[in-house]
Amino acid sequence: MTSRPNQTPTAPRASTTPHRSFTAHRCFIVPPYLLAHLASLEDPRLEHTRHAARRALESEHVFHTIRPGEPGTMRPPAAHPRASPDDDLSRPNRFISDAAGTETLPGRLVRSEGEPPHTDASVNEAYDGLGYTHALFCDAYSRASIDGAGLPLEATVHYGEAYDNAFWDGSRMVFGDGDGQVFSGFTRSLSVIGHELTHGFIQYTANLVYSGQSGALNESVADVFGALVEQHSRDQDVTEASWLIGEGIFTDEVEGTALRSMKAPGTAYDDDVLGKDPQPAHMDDFVQTDDDNGGVHINSGIPNRAFYLTAAGIGGNAWERAGRIWYETVTTEIKANADFRGFAGATIGVAGRIYGDGSGEVEAVRSAWQVVGVTS
Amino acid sequence: MKVTVTRSGGFAGLARRWQVSVESEPDEESWILLLRKLPWNEIAQEPPQPDRYLYRINYEPRNNATAASPDRNRITEPVIAEPREVVIPEQRLTGPWRELVDRVRERDEQERNLAHPTRNDG
Repeated sequence: MTSRPNQTPTAPRASTTPHRSFTAHRCFIVPPYLLAHLASLEDPRLEHTRHAARRALESEHVFHTIRPGEPGTMRPPAAHPRASPDDDLSRPNRFISDAAGTETLPGRLVRSEGEPPHTDASVNEAYDGLGYTHALFCDAYSRASIDGAGLPLEATVHYGEAYDNAFWDGSRMVFGDGDGQVFSGFTRSLSVIGHELTHGFIQYTANLVYSGQSGALNESVADVFGALVEQHSRDQDVTEASWLIGEGIFTDEVEGTALRSMKAPGTAYDDDVLGKDPQPAHMDDFVQTDDDNGGVHINSGIPNRAFYLTAAGIGGNAWERAGRIWYETVTTEIKANADFRGFAGATIGVAGRIYGDGSGEVEAVRSAWQVVGVTS
Repeated sequence: MKVTVTRSGGFAGLARRWQVSVESEPDEESWILLLRKLPWNEIAQEPPQPDRYLYRINYEPRNNATAASPDRNRITEPVIAEPREVVIPEQRLTGPWRELVDRVRERDEQERNLAHPTRNDG
């Protein structure tokens, strides 16, 4: 870690602020005939009317449906009995708590859904990040929260003392402040927030075993949707996006731009204290280790790059077609103990089901897994 | 007698390692008392939580050469005769295990700062 005098001492925090406004009304957990109607009620002065109309029109149980213009070959997901007809599942239900430097969870509740911004930047970053994550799943995949049934999104900030980590404990996201020398606060990166919540999404769907190849897939899927949350919020297409995970998390003293690069695994950092980014970009370099549950944060580089290559091959907004293929794979196709090859096969099958065998999408997926050496 | 702590996992996947040679510690006896408290055989397995740290703790007993001339005032019998290794997920790192890990890390970082005083100055 050497100082870099040419760099601005602190990265401008505003630069990571997404600029897309929430479009929660696009989450179609209500019957299709409502969609056009709801879309016409965007005027904030009609908010009350919109709510009343929705409550009246929503059916006995809330269900997912396919968005107009989407391929009709997909199976509609099952109904979610936990949802109440009074719930507006198109909106997030967020709760941010403050551990105040302790390791006690959840900590003190400091900002609930709909409350104005807090004086604490970490609280607001977590609150906004949960909202952007909810918006991606809702907008792009018609999924109401990470469980598909409107689960409240809970986060704790300021966990531990100089704690260099963020994690998902099975029911909430937890963020440390970093030590200030290597890491700054973990709420600063939207891809980190999206990553943590995606662990929750995975838990409610494929529930990939967090060890070995299935564990690396768990990590990779969390990176994929973490990156897509960021891209969707900034309205960046595949060429505009950074494809970095955890950009802005390192302090300026670290020689590195982010924790991981999906586009070029192994290139995110190269620092004299931290060492070099150890992620492989090809199966030839798959790392065998007992640590890190079998290198789940290392070998995720391989499926990460496969997703990037798929998105680049398809073009446009990555959350639309590439993201849709991965989403359907995780929610409908794979088992908890899936390995890279099984996951690859499932994505090719899903792409064929949605876009047609012989489509450009199928070709992009097939080619991506070949390039990273998972399939031949 | 060496204790090595290897921390892997975490969101960043950055492995860290800290080590202490107990014989060269000024408060060797308190280390030995701590090592005796460790429930080496009572490590419960549980499913990992995403992005949490994993701690691997290795213990190497005193080798015979250095144990040849014991100080009468010291606790000289070996803590445990055989090398040991346990892997503990962060959420289970409590009690004497947490105390050990924090202590090894703190001592190792102190030593490194003495050896390389500018290391953490950026």
